[in-house]
Amino acid sequence: MITIFINDKPYQVEPEQTIMQAADRLGFHIPRLCYHPKLSIEGACRVCIVEVVGMRNYVASCAYPVSEGMKIYTNTEEIRRARRDIVELILDNHPEDCHTCERDGNCELQRLAFAMGIRKRHFEGEKKHYEKDLSSASVIRDPNKCILCGRCVRICSEIQKVNALGYAHRGFKTVVMPAYNMPFKDSVCTTCGQCINVCPTSAFIEKNFTQELFQKLGDKSLIKVAQIAPSVRAAIGEAFALEPGRQLEKELTAALRKLGFDYVFDTQFSADLTIMEEASEFLERFQGKGKLPMITSCSSAWMKCLEQFYPDLIDNVSTCKSPMSMASALIKTYFAKKIKADPKKILSVACMCCTAKKYEALRPELMVDGMQATDMVITTRELAWMIKSAGIDLLHIKGEEFDHPLGYSSGAGTIFGVTGGVMEAAIRTAYELYTGETLLDIEIQDIRGLKGIKEGKLIIDGKEIRVAVAHGLGNANEILSAIRTDPERYHFVEIMGCPGGCIGGGGQPYAGSNSMPLDEECLMKRAEALYGLDRNKTIRRSHENPDVQRLYKEFLGRPLGAVSHKLLHTHYSPKEPRGIVPAELTVK
Amino acid sequence: MSTPLEIIRKKRAEAINRIISKGYLSSKRVYVGMATCEIAAGSIEVMEVFQEAIRSGLSDVYLSQKGCAGRCNLEPTVEVVEEGKIPLKYGLVTKEKAKAIIERHLKKGEVIKEWLIK
Amino acid sequence: MPARFNITLCDGPSCIHKRSKEIVLRIEEELKKHALTDKVGINLSGCLGMCDKGPVMIINPGYAIYGSFTEEDVPEIIQQHILKKKPVVRFIVDEDHLYNRFFRVFGDVNFFGKQMRIALRNCGIIDPENIDDYISLRGYEALARVLTDMSPAKVIAEIKKSGLRGRGGAGFPTGIKWELTAKEKSDEKYVICNADEGDPGAFMDRSAIEGDPHTIVEGMVIAGFAIGASRGIVYIRAEYPLAVKRIKKAIAEARESGFLGENILGSGFNFEIEVRLGAGAFVCGEETALMLSIEGHRGMPRPRPPFPSVSGLFGKPTLINNVETWANIPVIILDGASWFSSLGTEKSKGTKVFALAGKVKNTGLVEVPMGTTLRQIIYDIGGGIPGDKQFKAVQTGGPSGGCLSEEYLDTKIDYESLAKAGSIMGSGGMIVIDEDSCMVNIAKFFLEFTQNESCGKCTPCREGTKRMLEILIRITEGKGTEKDIDKLQRLGNMIKKASLCGLGQSAPNPVLSTIKNFRAEYEEHVHNKRCRAGVCQHLLVYEVTDKCVGCAACKKACPADAVSGSPKAKHHIDINKCIKCGVCFKVCKFNAIRKS
Repeated sequence: MITIFINDKPYQVEPEQTIMQAADRLGFHIPRLCYHPKLSIEGACRVCIVEVVGMRNYVASCAYPVSEGMKIYTNTEEIRRARRDIVELILDNHPEDCHTCERDGNCELQRLAFAMGIRKRHFEGEKKHYEKDLSSASVIRDPNKCILCGRCVRICSEIQKVNALGYAHRGFKTVVMPAYNMPFKDSVCTTCGQCINVCPTSAFIEKNFTQELFQKLGDKSLIKVAQIAPSVRAAIGEAFALEPGRQLEKELTAALRKLGFDYVFDTQFSADLTIMEEASEFLERFQGKGKLPMITSCSSAWMKCLEQFYPDLIDNVSTCKSPMSMASALIKTYFAKKIKADPKKILSVACMCCTAKKYEALRPELMVDGMQATDMVITTRELAWMIKSAGIDLLHIKGEEFDHPLGYSSGAGTIFGVTGGVMEAAIRTAYELYTGETLLDIEIQDIRGLKGIKEGKLIIDGKEIRVAVAHGLGNANEILSAIRTDPERYHFVEIMGCPGGCIGGGGQPYAGSNSMPLDEECLMKRAEALYGLDRNKTIRRSHENPDVQRLYKEFLGRPLGAVSHKLLHTHYSPKEPRGIVPAELTVK
Repeated sequence: MSTPLEIIRKKRAEAINRIISKGYLSSKRVYVGMATCEIAAGSIEVMEVFQEAIRSGLSDVYLSQKGCAGRCNLEPTVEVVEEGKIPLKYGLVTKEKAKAIIERHLKKGEVIKEWLIK
Repeated sequence: MPARFNITLCDGPSCIHKRSKEIVLRIEEELKKHALTDKVGINLSGCLGMCDKGPVMIINPGYAIYGSFTEEDVPEIIQQHILKKKPVVRFIVDEDHLYNRFFRVFGDVNFFGKQMRIALRNCGIIDPENIDDYISLRGYEALARVLTDMSPAKVIAEIKKSGLRGRGGAGFPTGIKWELTAKEKSDEKYVICNADEGDPGAFMDRSAIEGDPHTIVEGMVIAGFAIGASRGIVYIRAEYPLAVKRIKKAIAEARESGFLGENILGSGFNFEIEVRLGAGAFVCGEETALMLSIEGHRGMPRPRPPFPSVSGLFGKPTLINNVETWANIPVIILDGASWFSSLGTEKSKGTKVFALAGKVKNTGLVEVPMGTTLRQIIYDIGGGIPGDKQFKAVQTGGPSGGCLSEEYLDTKIDYESLAKAGSIMGSGGMIVIDEDSCMVNIAKFFLEFTQNESCGKCTPCREGTKRMLEILIRITEGKGTEKDIDKLQRLGNMIKKASLCGLGQSAPNPVLSTIKNFRAEYEEHVHNKRCRAGVCQHLLVYEVTDKCVGCAACKKACPADAVSGSPKAKHHIDINKCIKCGVCFKVCKFNAIRKS
């Protein structure tokens, strides 16, 4: 322990930490902006400066280590004024259209400016002006809102290892953009949306469909069908100022009906279906028909990533569509037939924790009978806004049940939302399908939790099966590189594009004023909400879901059968990552 | 085994001999400034004049390039060194001046005082 | 035999004691014997200051300094050096660099006489593309000495003792930097030469590399030995093609001669150097940005700690010094830290190279001992201000330096005193400004540069300098207010203390120092809308004088319709309409337009 002085008072602190870390533990929250605990230290915004006796200049507390006897001042008149001026400088080059901004009331810059006490302006001048990039199916880039904290650049390169974003130009003209300022859709962006999660303003924001959806919901000629992804129910409460961890499954179902949906289905049902197909596919491959290791295919950002960066591993990836696309395919075929409706009159809307699903919905490979299967994808954030905007009191609403036949799910379908969940669900089913015995310990702890890469082993019929789970594309990169060098290392691998899996998706509610995006504690609480739902269910294995069994009997036949093949499976093709070489330079 | 110091002494003697064998002991040595700044001021042309003169028979002159000595406003510079005398530096040397330096100074020993850097 | 030899014998008391008188006689005798009397001149000089090596004698050509010999050795020396033209290596003493330099550059005494060349000792003297020239002037001898009988610790101790400080600008003690890097344990360490010289008007590093590339190579190898590194990188701007060519050639020649590569000079020490080109970003001269650039990233400074000595290039301990710093290393090893530290001031030892430019008669590259005054450089070496103009200011330290007024002319140059005066040593830019320049405009000019070259990472530098520039533009356009001067100071002081790297921390210097030293000019711009130097276009007033013949040329040319008047009568400019473009002034053939 060493002694430091903060504002003249002595404190005993651990050595080998930054001033900011020490201050945090002592209850001094030094204002900050570019700092993020999960990302490298940027030291760019200079908001977290403090005075240190003996230093000529102010010190960025996020970067500077404490030392014995150090005298730190966090709140002198001088440092307050410098900090105030720095934040004002950021505001001076910011649109300040707060009232019409997507993040009004939820913006870190807004909160900071208020906290710094900026009431008068001294230095206003020219502001930057750039075109918004609307080209991506998922993410809108608005450099005018950008304050160059660099969190997006860092999460994209450090956590996701995608490197879609970088800085261009110098000085006042500095701007964050994809390589060669290519349209976002042509860049290597995987549409995971993590840049949105970490952005303190709205320089990155999802492509918003709320107005369009409100319009369609009023169209009486349409049959409006919704589905909800597992993680949406685990997180949407946060957008209504609830503490993380409270699931609102039944309330959401009711709210969606109040919004005007005719049918509300559960993506967890199709997650069970995914497991039926995927477990069967795995067992086929395990018995020699097809490549191992098999890699899961539920995460759309991972799909784009696969086609761009790992085309050599395409044959290793399951051909199963994601649960969302399976549900959508069934809504426009099986369900349409059931209610004797023209599938073209059905509006299929997916409420997802994900921005990449907006991209997935547009993949031509997923068309069903010439129709786009999922007509619209909205994120948890968009859904929360719609509920508020329609004046629906989500927290006090009477809960309702999902509709049949695509609404009932097992506990295995629920845990799809957490990293490791798909693997766990698949094991529960694969084991029993293969051996005919009951798996007693169905909560597989080895592959739960937020460790970047989790590995596990199980014995099926005397044979060892090695499995691995990665969440976040950076961690995925490690596993995939390992597979490239040693294809025998695993049999079955789960990859989720976002940290934490879907619960940490790019479409989830913004962090509240006292937490940071990617906060592990928050992710764990969301995960616990889903594990709790699983625990409380009597049916916890996908193959035991009676509605799934009925679906096979009535419509699909058997897993991996001809109808399944047509509706529930897809294919991938290598895509040259454009945006690395500008179009005019590519060899034709 | 020789020590590095012994090796460098030997190398130095060899280097000096090589320099001498290139005509270093000629009665006049001419150095033309050939740094970027000198080149920008036109020293390549000046160098060519001296090279041409040597090709066409100017003897007993050792010609070498040198870096920038720092006389920015007087470049290109040409230095003429005669053993035992104070080295002389010409500034703002042009092709024509170079020719004159060859004819008058190098061949006839006449120092062109008005062009010297004082 | 055309060449005439010259023998200069030291005639100091110590050498006389060591029988120099007798030696002269012996030489004369020997020359007679070989019929060389008329071909060899003998001079006696005052004490040459090498008493411990006496008797001392210099034979030219060859610049060989002989010492510690006796009369008996004279026949051998005469026969070998003069007849066979092979200096007798055995008696050659380590000549003093200063002495050497003195003989070589003598002849331009006004300019060079007041200088002292250590870093530039060979610049403008040797052929930079010929390693023999460098070796002949004791090149690589410092390296050989280090490898022969010095331990890494001893080398570092010597550099520390010399008091050498980083010549790139910040003035961090070089020896301590070496020591910190040496202390780190790592499988790989790097030595970097920062040759990314970006200050407008600065060319010290370019000249040093173009004029004497081997000294950089030698300095780096010595450092590699001292800190335990095996790889060196010269990071140099691509805009310096000749310097790039010469450093590459020097590296290749050094490798061929066994000064680089494996088992250097038979010592078992390995060291390699490669060249990396910078792409022209000013900020890449900042060490952390430079290293990121080498790694292939965008050159942007990062916060320190960790310092490069702990985690530098590719995360390995890295020693990074500027070109001029490297050029000093061999001299310190050869001539000793005590001698080096005898030069300069209390806290700043040795010499400093300056690129002297602007309104001064002799623009050029000068190297002077620390402690020389600004006046000596500007007037004695630079020859003063041309055209009998009045001196107004001198700006030191490149675009981020401060502008010092006349009262600071007797400031003795070193890191501390320049900082105290409100400027910086920087990498050595020195721009002299005369009465024809407007100080507000000068500040604007420099800020424009740093503002453009800001990497854009940290808020104070990126946004703050932009706002300062806007205020300065406002003032030069006559739209400034009293508050604007305060705002400049408020922003400037904040940017200095809050910015991430040296670029931002020094960018406000030109503005703050001109406000401090030339506040009256700012106030004139703000209150009286007047620019005393007549530089700020918007503050000029154009008038038609009686010389006007009424040709109407100005009337036709005026884009703002501000000129009125009948043909052949004196015209008139409506100052309310005038946009101060100056076209009337340019087109008038009769000098009838006056601007004031």
